[in-house]
Amino acid sequence: MGILFTRMFSSVFGNKEARILVLGLDNAGKTTILYRLQMGEVVSTIPTIGFNVETVQYNNIKFQVWDLGGQTSIRPYWRCYFPNTQAVIYVVDSSDTDRIGVAKEEFHAILEEEELKGAVVLIFANKQDLPGALDDAAVTEALELHKIKSRQWAIFKTCAVKGEGLFEGLDWLSNTLKSGSG
Amino acid sequence: MFSLMSGLWSYMFSKTEFHVLILGIDKAGKTTFLEKLKTIYSISEGLPHDRIVPTVGLNIGRIEVSNAKIVFWDLGGQPGLRSIWEKYYEEAHALIYLIDAACPTRFEDSKSALEKALRHEDLHGAPLLILANKQDLPNAVSAEELDRYLDLKKLDERVYMFEAVSGYDGRGIKESIEWLVGVMERSKRTETLRARAGYTPVPNS
Repeated sequence: MGILFTRMFSSVFGNKEARILVLGLDNAGKTTILYRLQMGEVVSTIPTIGFNVETVQYNNIKFQVWDLGGQTSIRPYWRCYFPNTQAVIYVVDSSDTDRIGVAKEEFHAILEEEELKGAVVLIFANKQDLPGALDDAAVTEALELHKIKSRQWAIFKTCAVKGEGLFEGLDWLSNTLKSGSG
Repeated sequence: MFSLMSGLWSYMFSKTEFHVLILGIDKAGKTTFLEKLKTIYSISEGLPHDRIVPTVGLNIGRIEVSNAKIVFWDLGGQPGLRSIWEKYYEEAHALIYLIDAACPTRFEDSKSALEKALRHEDLHGAPLLILANKQDLPNAVSAEELDRYLDLKKLDERVYMFEAVSGYDGRGIKESIEWLVGVMERSKRTETLRARAGYTPVPNS
């Protein structure tokens, strides 16, 4: 009975839960983004070995955000977290032009994963405050986002340390997840 | 015999999936139009218009009309984002081009972006539906006026139509889509794309 009420309550007020993975190369800014979203603060981070997971409540959606370590040696473990994921936030260090090719390959490898077929994709072109950072159009080009033809995607210019662009991205995510189109 | 033929017929035609590109400059109303389409043609309710934000990427809508499945690709229209339009041309069966009919100051921008798209060889032979959108606004020009204003050259060999619609209240949308499905089913481009897909299946990521 209690469960019934909870369900009714959440359907009336539109509360939804979504499992989101934050992926990207090491030093892209994933952990900074996670804590900026969750606490609204910049925390000093160390390279993530393993994962951080936090819940972010926004626009009536409870985002369970998983930030997975991005170093080469631990990227193979990302796939352990793929099942039941509604969205992937892919974070790119827009100023790291040397490694943008690697970022692209990792990104398209993720999209190939069967368990992520239904997930929508949000790209954060992060570190826009750094000199030489590529803008959204350039990152779109470099990541070859146009190859994505059967799922929704969006790209946002972000600066995690200033908090810019992050919530615009979450707005898009909540709209997209609510309209139920993957 | 009849069932054999009809079986063959449905085998050949029932699963046709059309890809339709929705283009236009920013603020033309592409995403609002797409969401309205979803509301009209599928069980899922599209997003209400007040929740729609500028697109920076790709929105997808899937609908079924009679026997056709249509996948709509709605791409962002801001100047910096228009460079990716052409990456979607090759696989598109048809093009819907939206214009804000109530904003004459941007007709020129609309016209040149459209002409640029039509010059691209990857869109060769693709049927074109030009929509004079935002007919719910009092100062919107009609489809005929827009046609006259745009004065598009080199459309002679392309199947095209102008139609007045409103992504806000939905007028004109059904007629437009019916027309589009009809021409796509008969178009030579559809045959070409189908033949190509038969030889080299394109993996979707």
